[in-house]
Amino acid sequence: MLKYVFRRLLAAIPVLLGLSIVLFAFVHLLPGDPVAALLGQHATPELTAEIRTRLGLDKPLYEQYLIYLGQLLSGDLGKSVINNRSVASELALRFPGTIELTAAALLFAIGLGIPLGRIAARHAQGWTDGAVTVISLLGISIPIFILGYTLQFFLSVQLKWLPTSARLDPRTHIDAVTNFMLIDTLLDGRPDAFVDALRHLVLPAIALGSIPLAIVTRITRASVLDVANEDYVRTARAKGLTERRVDSRHVMRNAWLPVVTVIGLQVGGLLAGAVITETVFSWNGVGRYVVEAIQDHDYLVVQSTILVFALIFLVVNLLVDVGYAFLNPRIRYS
Amino acid sequence: MATAAAPLNQPLAQPLTSRASRGLWRDAFRRLLHNRPALLGLAIIAVFALAALLAPVLAPGDPLAGTLVNRIKPPSAAHLMGTDLQGRDVLTRVLYGARISLLVGVVSVLMGVAMGGTIGAIAGAFGGRVDTVLMRVVDVLLAIPGILLAIGVVVWLDRGLLQIMFAVALTNAPIFARLLRGSMLALRESDYVTAARSIGASTGRILFRHMLPNALTPVIVAATLALATAIIDVAGLGFLGLGPPDPRTAEWGTMLTDATSFYRQAPWIIFFTGAAISITAIGFNLLGDGLREALDPRLRH
Amino acid sequence: MALLDVRDLVVRFRTQDGTIHAVNGVSFELEPGERLGLVGESGCGKSVTNLAVMRLLPKPAGRIEGGQILFDGVDLATMPEADLRDLRGRDVAMIFQDPMTSLNPVLTIEEQMVETIRAHRKVSREDARARAIELLGMVGIARPESRLRSYPHQFSGGMRQRVMIAMALALEPKLMIADEPTTALDVTIQAQVLEILERLTTEGGTALILITHDLGVVAGMTQRINVMYAGFIVETATTSELFANPSHPYTVGLLHSIPRLDEEQPERLIPIEGTPPDQRRAPVGCPFAPRCAWRLEVCWEVMPPLAPTANDPAAISGRVVTTGPDASHRIACHNPPTPEEAVAGQPLRPGFVPAPPPGLVGVPIEDVAPAELEAAGASVAAGDGSGPGEPVA
Repeated sequence: MLKYVFRRLLAAIPVLLGLSIVLFAFVHLLPGDPVAALLGQHATPELTAEIRTRLGLDKPLYEQYLIYLGQLLSGDLGKSVINNRSVASELALRFPGTIELTAAALLFAIGLGIPLGRIAARHAQGWTDGAVTVISLLGISIPIFILGYTLQFFLSVQLKWLPTSARLDPRTHIDAVTNFMLIDTLLDGRPDAFVDALRHLVLPAIALGSIPLAIVTRITRASVLDVANEDYVRTARAKGLTERRVDSRHVMRNAWLPVVTVIGLQVGGLLAGAVITETVFSWNGVGRYVVEAIQDHDYLVVQSTILVFALIFLVVNLLVDVGYAFLNPRIRYS
Repeated sequence: MATAAAPLNQPLAQPLTSRASRGLWRDAFRRLLHNRPALLGLAIIAVFALAALLAPVLAPGDPLAGTLVNRIKPPSAAHLMGTDLQGRDVLTRVLYGARISLLVGVVSVLMGVAMGGTIGAIAGAFGGRVDTVLMRVVDVLLAIPGILLAIGVVVWLDRGLLQIMFAVALTNAPIFARLLRGSMLALRESDYVTAARSIGASTGRILFRHMLPNALTPVIVAATLALATAIIDVAGLGFLGLGPPDPRTAEWGTMLTDATSFYRQAPWIIFFTGAAISITAIGFNLLGDGLREALDPRLRH
Repeated sequence: MALLDVRDLVVRFRTQDGTIHAVNGVSFELEPGERLGLVGESGCGKSVTNLAVMRLLPKPAGRIEGGQILFDGVDLATMPEADLRDLRGRDVAMIFQDPMTSLNPVLTIEEQMVETIRAHRKVSREDARARAIELLGMVGIARPESRLRSYPHQFSGGMRQRVMIAMALALEPKLMIADEPTTALDVTIQAQVLEILERLTTEGGTALILITHDLGVVAGMTQRINVMYAGFIVETATTSELFANPSHPYTVGLLHSIPRLDEEQPERLIPIEGTPPDQRRAPVGCPFAPRCAWRLEVCWEVMPPLAPTANDPAAISGRVVTTGPDASHRIACHNPPTPEEAVAGQPLRPGFVPAPPPGLVGVPIEDVAPAELEAAGASVAAGDGSGPGEPVA
């Protein structure tokens, strides 16, 4: 098992290196001179040369790449050209918001998708199955920003059931400790604020979770139907087990496996979707940070965020693979 | 008697099983025509394609210029989908938006198939070190989640329709690279390629006559489904302010962004534009699922 | 009272392509401890018959549409699902063809065996485990204590089938149904697994239904054989009688299509021409008629009932014995081969020609276009000068 994890870790290294090269190229092969862009109308030949030296831009490309790689390894993601703030610390400040949002969306997708998929499989070809199929079709077809605004318009603006945007009521002050709203409100001893944070989380999580919900539902349905036809399920029935036990121990234990893999793959889509969801719901996270950076042409921030997102994606998939191996003895013992 | 009856000696084919010989494509087409959801998808796509083609004829107004007197008018007989902030007819802009969305979507998926397919086919056909290196490159692309990659590319190459096409193509390419590689690897080992080789067919002939056509069916399915994603991604880029450089352009994503700031007063703009995007995506998803079932009946559940 | 008494069982599958007539009125009985072979080509309904006995037909397509399945006098066909569950695994156990897929890959052997035992007996986990160890020892698995913790993929195919047998015998069932238990195994392993199956069912007094397409397997294992074709039992006899006097054209064909090692002069193998009928059509006449060299006109129209052969005592006394060592030899045939013909594998009557399909009567077979015959659902068994159908002087 440990050997398996180790092997998976090793396999991630070339991908990470490749990623760093791509992102390095992204900033350094940008059309236009970043120094000129930085200095704007203040550019003089002397000043330009000085900045170039200071940023190391006069060195050969491979040397610049190695310097960049060294900085990355020491956790230095550079500084924003707009406000000179450390990108790493800005990201650290905003990541909890994004993680809170994606985790809630994932929870929504799994918590609803698996039961829906099971129901659809149990009544395959019936009307419930048809309804579930339509829901999942809508889920993958309606873009986050449209679903987001629709939910906001009806549930917040019209019915006023839930807050429209942000992570917390602006009048509430909470001491930022972890920057996870759900944790900080509790640490601050404010259950009312906790509920408020939870209410703020509902709509963004549904909007962001709709695509993974559709996909988890579909794959669960297909997987349960596949496993239900397996010989060992017939064996389990022939042994005289109750239908419930056949379902939980023999069908679901196996049907889980493809679902787990797919859930891992959804995390990438969730992180990407968070960029849009945060824009729709003015959610203070990395996504909005990126969008602002795009508008400010702050390429370093865009580059670093992509890097961190990719890193999270790789780590999550590693965890998923380990979880898969844990669930599947054929891999665990090979 | 013996001579006359000799041909009857072979097991006679059952009339009902003889259809397998009719050819995969004809069979698939027949199954597609019996798949109602797929036909609905096809109809949706046809309607939007026609709308896009005939936009200049069908559109009641000017997609770019409006009159301020007409601004933010709810749907009426004169403006079936209402007007926007600049007083432009929303229906007109939705129709013209279909042109951009479909064009960019189709071109970007084709580019994605070409790029990813080439990489995957080379990797799968040659195997070995070529395969390893190419697939690592694909892994790198896959590690950057979907639209984030597109954002990066558009930011890098600057805004523009071609750039958007390339960006969306790049996010699609890994799917096709993996698909074609997998098909090629499986086919290399399969019996009928071995059979073709054993009767002395050349490598090129095996590749083009035997391997590619068989690798193609999953690509067609994936490409149709990718069109749905591509149209959503293009709109997403527009929504994030990375759409066509001219902000007046009738592009669905850009139209949404414009509409968000006053959607409480004019929810119809988001409604109609959003419906256009969603319904197009539904059309491609329905057709893609139908194609998958038609081309691979084993997957039918 | 017979342990199992199946009466006029009808099973059909409703599929997108139409109704499949899988089992068309099958009746047979089984005494406690008796070992019965069920023989036939794939698709002949032998597996479906037994899945119906367990009420494990694939849902929702497969349905018992007629008949009774009396087990210890109780009709399983109408028994409530909950009672049936108690019965499965405890009174009737089943092992399947493919041991590679019949065990759950994500559960250990221990989990799968213990849950079987505990589903039917109120025993502690430890006791169930001890019983599992005992059972694995009985089927010849070395170091059963440590093997219990293994997963199925860590066993070979033969070992897995032993585990399946051990699991099936865990509750000392009255009836064990083994569906092609050795088909998926290497020839060398087959004999071992069959030996274990035979020894343990004999020791435990468990009745056995052995389903196979391999006459060689049933020859040594069973006391009685039912031969099935297209959802009908076409011949039934004690094993020794069936091999000594095969009396249905299909059985004769089966015996002539397998190599026999006990013959001094290996005779030429005669394959059965044609293919089994399309079961999407409701059966009309004898289903074997299109492939039969002995067929008469009536064969195309009327399915003959299962009746004693001319040489069987029951033919005179009228007392049909359905089970045990004195079971009557019965066949469903209008025109059974004579013993000489059975040996030859073809009709020997001078001038005999198999009856053409109805509608083509009177037309010399030479003038019938293949397409017409195909339309009539027939395949004509005719040879190259010495094959069946050719009159021999």
